[in-house]
Amino acid sequence: MTMRRFRKWCRTFHRELGYLAVGLTLVYAVSGIVVNHAHHWDANYERTAAVLSIAPPGTGATEEIEPLVLQRLALDRPVKNTWRAGPELLQVFLEGEGYDVNLVTGEVVHHAFRKRPLLFDLNFMHLNSGKGPWTGIADAYAGILVVMAVTGPWLVRGRKGLKGRGGLLMGLGIMLPFVYAFLVRGGG
Amino acid sequence: MRISLVLLLSFLIVLTTGNALAGDADKVYGEGVSAADTVLVSDLLASPDDFIGKTVRVKGTAVGVCAHRGCWINIASDTEGQTVRLKVQDGVIVFPPEIVGDTVLAEGVWTANELSMEQTKKICAAQAREEGKDFDEKEVTSCMTLYQISGTGAVVAAK
Repeated sequence: MTMRRFRKWCRTFHRELGYLAVGLTLVYAVSGIVVNHAHHWDANYERTAAVLSIAPPGTGATEEIEPLVLQRLALDRPVKNTWRAGPELLQVFLEGEGYDVNLVTGEVVHHAFRKRPLLFDLNFMHLNSGKGPWTGIADAYAGILVVMAVTGPWLVRGRKGLKGRGGLLMGLGIMLPFVYAFLVRGGG
Repeated sequence: MRISLVLLLSFLIVLTTGNALAGDADKVYGEGVSAADTVLVSDLLASPDDFIGKTVRVKGTAVGVCAHRGCWINIASDTEGQTVRLKVQDGVIVFPPEIVGDTVLAEGVWTANELSMEQTKKICAAQAREEGKDFDEKEVTSCMTLYQISGTGAVVAAK
């Protein structure tokens, strides 16, 4: 195969796969930034907590206290479960929310959470939480990225190509992870 | 153009089929459960050293989930106030907060971790903070052993 023909193949693959990869690249890029900062915020859920109060139900037996608490909370949604976490604490669990009830003071902390629109789904795909068919899709995407990385350097000739600025930038990009690994892990 | 349409259509079919199949069945996390018998959490906690290194299966209500990475759940015991923690490898299994309040069947190896005095003090301080109690470091005089299930899988019962 001549060099000219090879470049033509590279351009074709790079262009077609590039179009195909746009959506997935955005999914992985946006989610990548989000999950990189998972220690700063909850990337998947919005959480709220509010303090309320009810008349203190006392610390009697759970079977006596539980109906009292439920009645005083005046819930209009089905309760999934309750849990006597301690002598003074009863927890009430509902779909997407819950109540921590201090049985002595009557102070109630209402916790609620909901999925962050779009971000939850992006992270779900990025982290392959659902496994199944997404494993194949993600593997195929990784393959596409490899093809694009291999074909990309051959697209342009001359000063802006591999023999010029392009080669320099490519070298820098390849060195970056090695330098980082060396500096952070001490080369060990 | 035709190829793109076929690809897009296949992609949508795969996604919608996946969602439809994910209906109201029990939800399996990790390797699920395979041990024959369920151990009562109260039995585990009554004689924790007898179970170290053994694969155990427990059943109870999920009463807490790691808010950070979904890497652990607290499972309620059959005895009030007691819980046991199922810790899984970060990112390998991710428990969502939706399972709090659901019945969980969980499995893994019962482990004991001897904590240092510093770690013990940190845990006691965190517990006191959660319970709104005062904490005095000097009251901690011995190191704590942290028992938990190193989880391999779980099944959350269908709602």
